[in-house]
Amino acid sequence: MNDDRLEEILNSIGAEEIPAEVRGIAQDASNNFNKFLRQPSQPAKPSLLELIMRSRTTKLAAAAVIVIAVLAGLPFLPKNTASVTLAGVAERLGQVKAIMYKMKMHVTGSMVPGMPQVSQDMESTIIISNDFGMKMEIDMTDPNTGKKMTQQMYLVPDSKLMVMVMPEQKRFTRMEFTDDLLAQMKKQNNDPREMIKQMMGAKYTDLGKSDINGIEVEGFKTTDPAIYGSAMGDVKVTLWVDAATWLPVLVEMDMTINEKMRITGTIYDYQWNVPVDKSIFEPVIPADYEAFPKEGMKMPEMTEEAAIEGLKIFADLCGHYPKQANMMDLMQEMTAVMIEQASKEKPGDMTETERVTKAMETMRPVQSFALLYMTLVQDKKEPVYYGESVGPDDIGAVLMRWKTAQNEYRVIFGDLSARTVTGEQLAELEKQPPK
Amino acid sequence: MKHSERLELFENVRARYSVFLTSVLWKLTGDKELFTEAMQYSLFGIWQHVEKLKGEKAGAYIYRIALTANSKAWRNRVGRNGEILNDPIDPAEDADERLDRAESAAIVRREISRLPKKQAGAIVMRYLEQQDYQAIAEKLSCSKAGARSNVSRAMATLKSKLAALV
Repeated sequence: MNDDRLEEILNSIGAEEIPAEVRGIAQDASNNFNKFLRQPSQPAKPSLLELIMRSRTTKLAAAAVIVIAVLAGLPFLPKNTASVTLAGVAERLGQVKAIMYKMKMHVTGSMVPGMPQVSQDMESTIIISNDFGMKMEIDMTDPNTGKKMTQQMYLVPDSKLMVMVMPEQKRFTRMEFTDDLLAQMKKQNNDPREMIKQMMGAKYTDLGKSDINGIEVEGFKTTDPAIYGSAMGDVKVTLWVDAATWLPVLVEMDMTINEKMRITGTIYDYQWNVPVDKSIFEPVIPADYEAFPKEGMKMPEMTEEAAIEGLKIFADLCGHYPKQANMMDLMQEMTAVMIEQASKEKPGDMTETERVTKAMETMRPVQSFALLYMTLVQDKKEPVYYGESVGPDDIGAVLMRWKTAQNEYRVIFGDLSARTVTGEQLAELEKQPPK
Repeated sequence: MKHSERLELFENVRARYSVFLTSVLWKLTGDKELFTEAMQYSLFGIWQHVEKLKGEKAGAYIYRIALTANSKAWRNRVGRNGEILNDPIDPAEDADERLDRAESAAIVRREISRLPKKQAGAIVMRYLEQQDYQAIAEKLSCSKAGARSNVSRAMATLKSKLAALV
């Protein structure tokens, strides 16, 4: 390219007119930011705003990835086995006692509309033993500071615990499991075996043969949101299986949430039947590390009662029910609410520990609702959620329902009462518009 | 400075520079998604440094904030490597030529985001904002010769980067 050509390009860029739509975007961004700054009781210290806009959104993005990583291993056992080929792969994997693999994920976008977009990279090494549990080592880069961060996540079935260790912060977090969740997570922990089963339960296409690094592979692709229990928006998951050994070689994931966030990732470098020692799966927590929060955390339950409690908490906070039942939309809605709440706090109102504990206590039952919905989707119980049109005042209106047996449905109503009805009764109830 | 004073100052700066920011960020990004992101970073940058935006140097600071925001937005762009093709379309123009021009503009924009700040500022002021060297020198806090030198070095860097891509 010569000087004239470069100058011509630069001049043409310089002469471009600003489209009206772009002016509108600028105005919206400016107004949103101004509105945010002018919220009542805005803290005097800029550090809290900075925390909310940078650190917190970054951490939330990281949290989203971890949630996704955990969700990917949640207990979804599809009832149908649509493909002999994939079933064969699943059977082959059933013989594996210990697996090691790597996962790369990248999250971009904004957790909350109007907030700066984040770009978060994570690389993990996961080792799973049928006998001892799971260990996941996560490396992340903070997009704001460029600093590397590491975390180790342990799933310890014997203690019914998930433990996260954060060496940079010299902190660790303990999360307790309920018996139900643990019983299922013992079987599947973010495990390629589970992914095969999930894919078998979803609609997928056979991509035929291909080649990855000289290995002949067979590909399977799904865009069925059911693979993640409809927790995401658009999903595209491609699984490549070694045509000779019937073992997975590569998984490619591409998910968008609400058109605001995009998560891409790969799972690769599988090693099968690796020798494992029990000590690998025992959390290593140096004596000077602090428990954060001190009293530990509890995983959300997946029961109707917990889901109803979550809906009540959400409605008390926002005056309406969540618009969507899927986990990521719900997390976005909740995050927006919590950022708004945090912006109203005065400096010194709460310690960081207290703030995190409060946030987790609020989040957990709400997540229970999303987890219940995911489970119902995966179990093909035909859940339908009407949060966009039904509110707390719509006493007799169907807020959510799912199938429990032939011609039998469980219904949660607008006033959060619940009862079991027949198909005919449900049809009548769903005919009635919300009051 | 009290929060209310910072807010007032922020509002003044925002009102004064919003047209400029919109113009320069659009020219630097040429893409709505990138533009939104760069605009958000700019507003946050203004809020962070609002105390410095009172005096004569405010214009120069705003340039730096805009250029930093633009670089961050480009760095965050994932997987697409700056492959944006949304230049205004002239129906009379030959399709290949149009594609080539749009691609070249996108590459130039991306490479500007990677230039050292002074060079990026110089090239933006000179070519995208059509400013004379005296004005550039004032904003860059250097002599006219220094401004020329920054423009010249930026052009050389861009040329070499672009030549490597052709």
